[in-house]
Amino acid sequence: MMDQFKIGLALFIFLAIPPVASFMESVMVIHMHMQMPMLVIAGLLMAPFFQKQFPNFFEKWNENGIPGILLFIIIISYWLLPRTMDEALSLTSVEIFKFISLPFLAGVPLRDSWKKLSDFSKNFVITLFTIVFLGMGFLYIFVPVQLCNNYLIIEQIALGWAFLLTAVGMIVYLLYVAFVDPSEYE
Amino acid sequence: MKKLEHNTIAIIVVLLFGCVLFYVGTDGFRAFTAETARVNQLIKEKPKFPDVTFEDSFGRKYSFSEFENKYVFITFFYTACTTVCIQLEVNMGKVYDMLPEQYIDEDIVFLSISFDPEKDDPATLSRYKDYFNSDGETWRMATIPDQKELDSLLQEFGVIVIPDGKGHFAHNSAFYIVDKQGFLTNVLDYRDPETAADVVKTILENDKGE
Repeated sequence: MMDQFKIGLALFIFLAIPPVASFMESVMVIHMHMQMPMLVIAGLLMAPFFQKQFPNFFEKWNENGIPGILLFIIIISYWLLPRTMDEALSLTSVEIFKFISLPFLAGVPLRDSWKKLSDFSKNFVITLFTIVFLGMGFLYIFVPVQLCNNYLIIEQIALGWAFLLTAVGMIVYLLYVAFVDPSEYE
Repeated sequence: MKKLEHNTIAIIVVLLFGCVLFYVGTDGFRAFTAETARVNQLIKEKPKFPDVTFEDSFGRKYSFSEFENKYVFITFFYTACTTVCIQLEVNMGKVYDMLPEQYIDEDIVFLSISFDPEKDDPATLSRYKDYFNSDGETWRMATIPDQKELDSLLQEFGVIVIPDGKGHFAHNSAFYIVDKQGFLTNVLDYRDPETAADVVKTILENDKGE
């Protein structure tokens, strides 16, 4: 458990090293589909440490997992806005908020909530993000204007395809859950 | 029951936090892209046109005071551009044509500023202006040879120009209106010349009425 925390913390610090951060942010698709998810993953890895330190807090305020997953959805949706990605590059305060919100307000609550959620809720969350990602994908591919001032249109289109591919991955998973009964293969 | 209450409170707090976050992050649900935020901010701040030296299509050199006591209708472009700039300049020409003739030159000057001084010398600008029937006088095409001065203007007016390394630039576009005192007063959508012409007409009429 301690090891996971160390790995998470190391990942977090690594991502925050200025040259690493500025390299990842120089490419739009890496910024959104690698740096941001890795920050969430850093949070996921650090979560057990916080759960152990403050067991009452999570038990009391995130009893059925809904508050945590809502917080996760809100934070992720916020970082999907074209503007926030732009401002992370031009405003230091927004950049700092990114490094705090994604691991600690999205990663940590996701891990605490996920086990508490029913299968239905889990699939609901995945379906929600599939729809959102499909929407974002089509938006970035087909919108004729440049949505982010810091990135070229060609990068915007690449980002759109990355969203669509991620959505396809989630659709495959949802179909698997819907049609395959694992017990048949045991 | 007590525990469930905590859970419910947590949900409400999280939702409230989400509303505040999105409200603040989008300036009250008005700006979802940095470009909209930039335009809103510019109109609020009204920056003054910095002191720069232009070189126009006739090779004349002058500062912004050349346009003293006139409104200036500005766009930013570069001549090697094959996409947005053409539409931008065509629409600028439309606004020019839609304005009553009496205002042109007397009260308002059109100015296309190239942010590519390296390539856009007077000869290139002169050739380019002919494509758009610009006379070079009431609708001038100019560049700012001093890169530092150019950068200060782009910075002040929030124009973001990213060179792609192959002689082209990614950039944001708009119509900028600077008033008689040299302050930026309005930023308009370049894709809608009709509205822009109406706005300019109203500004000029009000100015005459005063």
